[in-house]
Amino acid sequence: MIVPLEHVLFLSTILFILGLGCVLARRNLIMILIGVEIMLNAVGLTLVGASAFWQQVDGQIMVIFLMAMTSAEVSISLAMVVYLNRRKGTVDVRAFDEMRG
Amino acid sequence: MNPLLLFLIPLLPLLGGVFNACCGSRLPQRLVAAVAVLSVAGSFLSSLLLWPLGAGEGTRTVLFSWLQSGGFRADAGILFDPLAAVMTLMVTGVATLIHLYAAGYMEHDENQARFFALLNLFVFAMLCIVLADNLLFLFLGWEGVGFCSYGLIGFWYRKTENASAGRKAFIVTRIGDLFFAIALLWLFREFGTILIEQINARAVELDPLLLTVLTLLLLGGACGKSAQLPLMTWLPDAMAGPTPVSALIHAATMVTAGVYLLCRMFPLVSLSTTGMAAIALVGVLTALYAASCAVAQREIKRVLAYSTMSQIGYMFFAVGVGSVSGAMFHLLTHAFFKALLFMGAGCVIHLAGNENDIYRMGGLKRKSPQVFWLFLIGILCLAGTPLTGGFFSKDEILLTAFARGDGFSAILWGLGVLTAGLTSFYSFRLLYLVFFGEPRQAEKGHSVSPLMLWTLPLLALFGLFGGLLNLPHLFGGHQWLSHWLGQPAGVSLSLGTELGLLLLMLIFFGGGWLIAHLRYRRFPGDEQADWRSFLLNGWQFDRFYEFILVRPYRTVCRFCWQGGDKALIDGIMDGISRLCLHWGGYARKLTTGQVAFYLQGFAWGLLLIVGWFLLSAVK
Repeated sequence: MIVPLEHVLFLSTILFILGLGCVLARRNLIMILIGVEIMLNAVGLTLVGASAFWQQVDGQIMVIFLMAMTSAEVSISLAMVVYLNRRKGTVDVRAFDEMRG
Repeated sequence: MNPLLLFLIPLLPLLGGVFNACCGSRLPQRLVAAVAVLSVAGSFLSSLLLWPLGAGEGTRTVLFSWLQSGGFRADAGILFDPLAAVMTLMVTGVATLIHLYAAGYMEHDENQARFFALLNLFVFAMLCIVLADNLLFLFLGWEGVGFCSYGLIGFWYRKTENASAGRKAFIVTRIGDLFFAIALLWLFREFGTILIEQINARAVELDPLLLTVLTLLLLGGACGKSAQLPLMTWLPDAMAGPTPVSALIHAATMVTAGVYLLCRMFPLVSLSTTGMAAIALVGVLTALYAASCAVAQREIKRVLAYSTMSQIGYMFFAVGVGSVSGAMFHLLTHAFFKALLFMGAGCVIHLAGNENDIYRMGGLKRKSPQVFWLFLIGILCLAGTPLTGGFFSKDEILLTAFARGDGFSAILWGLGVLTAGLTSFYSFRLLYLVFFGEPRQAEKGHSVSPLMLWTLPLLALFGLFGGLLNLPHLFGGHQWLSHWLGQPAGVSLSLGTELGLLLLMLIFFGGGWLIAHLRYRRFPGDEQADWRSFLLNGWQFDRFYEFILVRPYRTVCRFCWQGGDKALIDGIMDGISRLCLHWGGYARKLTTGQVAFYLQGFAWGLLLIVGWFLLSAVK
């Protein structure tokens, strides 16, 4: 393996934290979804790196599954975003607080 | 004759009652009344036909075993001995006449089905008391009559005072029932059986002290049912019920159940000298107390209620001086003439336009001579006019007491004679105020239905000639009742003494009548004085009980309600719920509805978990 595992893990951690920061900091629904995608991809990167490190194919299969699942998730969540936008005319999460206790 | 036929006697009224209770409301009212009357009349006829079974030792028969557990056994069994036979015949006979009368009296009432169902059930329960061969079956009837009495006193329950009178009767008699129940259980513990015959036969085995206690407990039970001191306050109020009910339950039958119980258990009761003295004392004191109250009453039915109480006092007195036949004799004659008086009072109330107050009656003699003559017969019997039934029975009791000869009996005898004078006075006072003088009632009365009127002459006949049942030797009789009950009177007084006592009774009777005649022949105007209101309210016993029992009880209840339930239990529960609400308010603030806030929560949680893993990995 040319790239050491530590580097892969380091990169994916940075990606994950960036994604998390995006999710937490942004108020725009679409940006939050993008943050979630980045976090998912960070996890995928870890899996691929681990798969290469142990010379086993399981991790890569997981990533294939992950991609399929992610595409489904994105299509559903974008549809919901469109719906929410129609309801309130905005995609700001602060507008959607009807579940307040 | 098949002894099982005896069960027809109680079962016919039961059938009638159940039938009326189930489908009476859907049938024409006439049919309801007919079913009720016929079922009781059938019961009367069967007791008449089965009379021979009661002779001598009597007949014992069992229909089925009611309860059985270990050594305990209670049957639905009948003991038809001379005592029960006499009582059965009286109960069913008087009940039949009163049912007939009630059919006329309740003609225009809407709830005849309920009325007749309760009345029939009452007769059933009363017959259970009379016929039962064991104490538990007797107790069933005992409670049954209590319940029916409650339902019938409060029959017109829409008026609060009627309903509370029913409740009072129920609760006060229940206190007596408690004593009876204790006696019942105690007897079972001592003998291992509740058969009346066996208990009576084996009573001599008991310790004298225990016998006294048991006798006093039985006396307590009898006092409750028979409205004797100190449990007598319910009877005057019980007059709130319809008049036929007062006649049947509160004059002729139920209130005599206590006397009957003591007669039934006489072999046991008579073994305790103290117990017998207590019975006699209670009887005489009640007789005197009630007679003194009757002197000042204003309501016609209350006068009769107090006189009933007083006459039952005489019966207790008779039991207490050891004369079962005297008690039963007076019980029979009293049942006839008191039922007559009550039903006559019902007619009077109708004639006077639903007026109860005897000071607002008067002049009814001209209005309805027939009612006057019938009522007069009742009054004569009650007052103990010589040669009427009431005279002979009362005389026998006093004679027996006098013949005992000891000081205690002599004092009681003196009080009994005094009461006889009072009885004569208040009886004639009632008669004069109601029937003589000018009419004083405000409303015009309505006529009396013929059904009501035509049941009375028969009772009048029985009341008048009831003395023949047990005519003393002095008058050429043979004391049939005493012989039938197997208790030939042991009174042996010289002819001179007996005639002297008779003269004394005559003097007291005549004195009572004379005072009443002088005072009430012309209407003396409304009387309102302090000592009268004291007697009017029954020596303020109601207020006394209110003060020493009802009010403390109410205070305790209020404490339990306000202090125990409301403050303590509700306080703890409310406190817990308020605490939860308070803390829940804080928790509620966490759910802001902001997605970002939740996500932050995720992130912090994740950090925590990862941090924990890291820490444990470092270790």
